[in-house]
Amino acid sequence: MSLGLQAPPSLGVPGKKRWAMVIDLRRCIGCMACVCADKAEYDVPLGVWRTIVKVKNTGSYPNTKRHFMPRLCNHCDNPPCVRNCPTEATYKHEEGFVLQRYERCITCRTCIAACPYNARHVLPNNRDRVKIGGVVDKCTFCDHRVEKGLVPACVQTCLGRSRIFGDINDPNSEVARLVARNSTVVLKPGKGTQPQVYYIKPERSLTEQAYSAPVSYAAREDARAFYEHNRSSKFFSGVL
Amino acid sequence: MFEFNQYNIAPWGYEIVIYFFLIGMAAMTFIYAAAPAVFGGIFDGVAGKAMQPFQKTGMIAALILLLISGPLLIADLGQPSRFLFPIIYFHWTSPLSWGSLFLPLFGLSIVGYLFALINGKTDWLKPLGIIGSLLAVSMPLYTGLDLMVHQGRELWSNPTIPVLFVILSISSGTALVAVLHLATGKLNDQALEVLYWFLYVALAATLVLFLAELVVLNYGSAEKQQAWQVINTEFGFEYWVLTFLIGIIAPLLLIVKPKLGRNPKVLVLAAVLSAVGAYSFRAVLIYAGQLGQLYY
Repeated sequence: MSLGLQAPPSLGVPGKKRWAMVIDLRRCIGCMACVCADKAEYDVPLGVWRTIVKVKNTGSYPNTKRHFMPRLCNHCDNPPCVRNCPTEATYKHEEGFVLQRYERCITCRTCIAACPYNARHVLPNNRDRVKIGGVVDKCTFCDHRVEKGLVPACVQTCLGRSRIFGDINDPNSEVARLVARNSTVVLKPGKGTQPQVYYIKPERSLTEQAYSAPVSYAAREDARAFYEHNRSSKFFSGVL
Repeated sequence: MFEFNQYNIAPWGYEIVIYFFLIGMAAMTFIYAAAPAVFGGIFDGVAGKAMQPFQKTGMIAALILLLISGPLLIADLGQPSRFLFPIIYFHWTSPLSWGSLFLPLFGLSIVGYLFALINGKTDWLKPLGIIGSLLAVSMPLYTGLDLMVHQGRELWSNPTIPVLFVILSISSGTALVAVLHLATGKLNDQALEVLYWFLYVALAATLVLFLAELVVLNYGSAEKQQAWQVINTEFGFEYWVLTFLIGIIAPLLLIVKPKLGRNPKVLVLAAVLSAVGAYSFRAVLIYAGQLGQLYY
């Protein structure tokens, strides 16, 4: 369904590109190089992120495991952020990128509310080098690199080749082969957003909302900080 | 390395809650004030006669509320100078675009109605009142719809939310109208009767929707159950004390006995309490709806 989208879903449409990412969690070592590459590529300020690697420990000694969960915009084929944007500042590219027009964004934050993946943020006003500020920003799948035949910065820098990027409509692409040959999951498939970041072999405690509750003291404190911050004691919720 | 978890901030704070509250109040105040022109002949003209002396006061009150809430909404934008963009770059699937279009039209209706009232242009009142009342209803409706369309947030993605917001605006609007009537000495028997029934029906409907919310959250999906947990742990006081006890049960008990409920001071007290509930109910839904997360 393409209600309110600028480009209809292109997944599986012959002759059209559909950029997608596969994240092979068997290969992720939690080095955060992707986060650093992204911060460097876009001068992403402290306190916000376009991509992040979340870390979770499960089990109890001696049967324990550490999980890594890279998160980024899922560049949904049916993105609710695009449908709800009042100015079409966020829009869907025909090849699947979900992008942001900074000059049109009024920062009403409807897109942030609409995103089920917590993948959007507000850029602060006062930045040192990049002057774009006071608008909503997000991962772009590095469309400026992809247009030049390169892969996104996070994929380029991934040490374990955990992140793989390509055209999922092309049956010979690596992403298409990986999705065809491995069991993959997407985040919150029930929301109908048709996310295009595929994870290989995540555990239920990572991807299901009811089972992903924070366990450790540190993680619980992170969640508490999020709750406390969003009880809105600050003007404008403190987002700028 | 310890467990690591960072969230981007939730977007909507108290400015949005206050805006939703004030614009709902303004909408219902307009409908009361325009009642003589719009509902003049209905039910033997009871509503029309009761609100006849209130027209000008009500319109001015609605205008003041609009003059507070409009700029508040603009100030809440990260880019206030672009506040006309939702109209210029109108996106028809976004309720916010429709709201941005209807909000100034609602303001024009208030100004037009006041102009016609002051200048004695009585034949303008009915069309302006009808158009303005429809736009007034669209205000709480669009704010609720603005939450409802977020499929990713199950606490909001619920068809009762716009209806609930309209009902809550009836409570808060009735509170303002009752206070103004009492303050200006216009709270006669007819006005009392109209306000009593509107408040009674609004409170009963709020109670029904509150209970419906309770059932839906407890019998719902994992995300709804998480929302229920968030409401009880983070907003227990606001939800159970301010909304349920003070905002719904207390005013209902005050007016459930017809004789006591028709006492002007008791009615005004019940209406004010219901407005407190209308504010906190919205606040809890808006805040808690943003806190449900996939943690990893």
